[in-house]
Amino acid sequence: MAYSFPEEVLEHVFSFLSLARDRNAVSLVCKSWYEIERWCRHRIFVGNCYAVSPEIVIRRFPELRAVEMKGKPHFADFNLVPEGWGAYAYPWIAAMAEAYPFLEEIKLKRMVVTDESLELISKSYKNFKVLVLTSCEGFTTDGLASIAANCRHLRELDLRESEVEDLSGHWLSHFPDSCTSLVSLNMSCLGSEVSFSSLERLVARSPNLRTLRLNRAVPLEKLANLVRHAPQLVELGTGAYSSEIRSDTFSSLADAFSACKQLKALSGFWDVVPSYLPAVYSVCSGITSLNLSYAAIPSSDLVKLISQCQNLQRLWVLDYIEDSGLEALAASCKDLQELRVFPSDPFGAEPNVSLTEQGLVSVSEGCPKLESVLYFCRQMSNAALIAIARNRPNFIRFRLCIIEPQAADYLTLEPLDAGFGAIVENCKELRRLSMSGLLTDRVFKYIGTHAKKLEMLSIAFAGESDLGLHHVLSGCDSLRKLEIRDCPFGDKAVLANAAKLDTMRSLWMSSCSVSFGACKLLAQKMPRLNVEVIDERGPPDSRPESCVVERVYVYRTVASRQRLDMPDFVWTLDEDSSMRYS
Amino acid sequence: MDNHLQLHLALSNTSTHNMLKKRKFDESFSDDEMTSNKRTLPLLIWNDNRNLDSGCVDVEGDAVVGWPPVNSRMRKVAEHHRRESTASNYVTVDNGGGGGGLNWMYVKVEMEGIGIARKVDLGIFGSYQALTATLMAMFGKRREMYKLTYRDKEGDWLLAGDVPWERFVRSVRRLKLLKKVW
Repeated sequence: MAYSFPEEVLEHVFSFLSLARDRNAVSLVCKSWYEIERWCRHRIFVGNCYAVSPEIVIRRFPELRAVEMKGKPHFADFNLVPEGWGAYAYPWIAAMAEAYPFLEEIKLKRMVVTDESLELISKSYKNFKVLVLTSCEGFTTDGLASIAANCRHLRELDLRESEVEDLSGHWLSHFPDSCTSLVSLNMSCLGSEVSFSSLERLVARSPNLRTLRLNRAVPLEKLANLVRHAPQLVELGTGAYSSEIRSDTFSSLADAFSACKQLKALSGFWDVVPSYLPAVYSVCSGITSLNLSYAAIPSSDLVKLISQCQNLQRLWVLDYIEDSGLEALAASCKDLQELRVFPSDPFGAEPNVSLTEQGLVSVSEGCPKLESVLYFCRQMSNAALIAIARNRPNFIRFRLCIIEPQAADYLTLEPLDAGFGAIVENCKELRRLSMSGLLTDRVFKYIGTHAKKLEMLSIAFAGESDLGLHHVLSGCDSLRKLEIRDCPFGDKAVLANAAKLDTMRSLWMSSCSVSFGACKLLAQKMPRLNVEVIDERGPPDSRPESCVVERVYVYRTVASRQRLDMPDFVWTLDEDSSMRYS
Repeated sequence: MDNHLQLHLALSNTSTHNMLKKRKFDESFSDDEMTSNKRTLPLLIWNDNRNLDSGCVDVEGDAVVGWPPVNSRMRKVAEHHRRESTASNYVTVDNGGGGGGLNWMYVKVEMEGIGIARKVDLGIFGSYQALTATLMAMFGKRREMYKLTYRDKEGDWLLAGDVPWERFVRSVRRLKLLKKVW
């Protein structure tokens, strides 16, 4: 008897599946399940905007309410992807405006978003609620004004780390008086001053406001007023945290903070005057997340603040914290899960602070729940890495940047193979790894052997031969994203592992040794991969095939055509190895 | 089995030597008593194949493009620090409004005859020239009509331009543009 459940019943069952992975599995069971599932999927995540086309998405999923998408490869953050490469949001926004009148959420990362896109969003979706633009660019405050003015039910407007052309602060005043639905506002990346009275009134009429991240232009003297209107805040990013020292400003601020019983996250603190830090002490015991990565605070003041935050789970801080501060952190914050230490002077030749590998060792010893680390420092040793690995086998993200490229173990002058080897061997759940320092092919052997759960790997100035890359591509079973710069990896490893690339989201190689001929061969062998040669020296076929390309970006795609928006320094290679220009 | 796709695993260093276009320093150690494990740090990473005129050359002089891997926001933070720091690591922040610290330096700027004062971040300028040009643009006036004066940490009003820029930036608390009288 092959009777199936009524569709409505299946749909109801599927509604409990929130993970895309589960829904994808369900849709493979049989054709009718595929059909039912696609009609009731409301949320999708597209990890690479060029892996699929708007038409394909819309055809398969007619009822989407929430779309999340990523564009440029991660190395774009460090200027390794030339300007104009792509990742334009407009084609998606335009197509979705027609297809999804009930769309509520758009979250984009590393994409180019124009004011036209923003205006289209604001006018096309009657029930639009959430706009999150992470590390995006291409729009101005005029675009924000459209969103503010037209999205009647806006809940979240989050511009984290985006590059916005700041024409004026006037956009904020476009929120109508009737807009009371705001839950989250993050304008920390903007430069201009907004009208404070508009801001104050907006905050005051938003009873559901949980997250408010101000920009630097909001002065400290006005912060207390805002906070007083929103004692229900869970996350607050201050503006500039400096002012002439006045006791009334201080006490007003301290009072305002003490009313915030739900506050869990603090950020901002530009221009910080340490004497004002005690104003937040009353909330410290509840704080789980502290982002001080723009705050130049001397170690001693940092320690005073941090030692009040016993429930801290996440700390982002500049290296002013120094080894001594990290030791104090390790002693006070036993719940710490994530630590990021950024360099205050990354381009300076000499160390400006006393932060070494010892700080990381202390934290790995003292914080049993630490699982995610991003650490910039100027010296490292195998001994320290081995100790860290043994202390913390529970790492899932480990990113270490030793500022000098190819820096050896400073004690033994050996490569850091053994140290990173210990990390991958001990940390069996490691999902993300970024390496630096002097590394031979040996470390890649360790990675291929042990890092079976590794999903993302970033390599720079490392390795000796194709063998290194081969170890990674053949050994790392879970690898999805591989980004490599300035390594002597070339044709052999890439071609021998061509099939592997089909199982990954993307491979980025810049300033390596991959020849144009190999790129053509790869494209020929693997029709479902887009092989993009990104080279600013002119057409690759104007040079011998053995010539190495500046950058190659390989990603799997089901889009039936090559992308049509390539600039003149990008070439994709067709199945018949002919070069396509845009 | 397609020959193109077979990887012949090289087990010795020499056969992969032709891959090591960048590692010229390797060659100098190959006939030494020094073990291959001990290396000194190169002063500059050089890749013959890289086009240095490409659009993504960083402004950091001889530094490698995109290294260390800090995003543009962090680079701006570092830029401030670079302008600010001299021999000492960091200066303790003064009580003066917004000035003299190791980070951003907002000071109030007034122009004679204009009711509304502005604020500028001195940290983003490298010279009197740059500062004055920006101030003039801010207020929409012509440069030759005004002179720049400042109040220093002692409270005295002085004509800007006499002391070296770095020293000026450390001591300035407020700026005022006065109409030239002649």
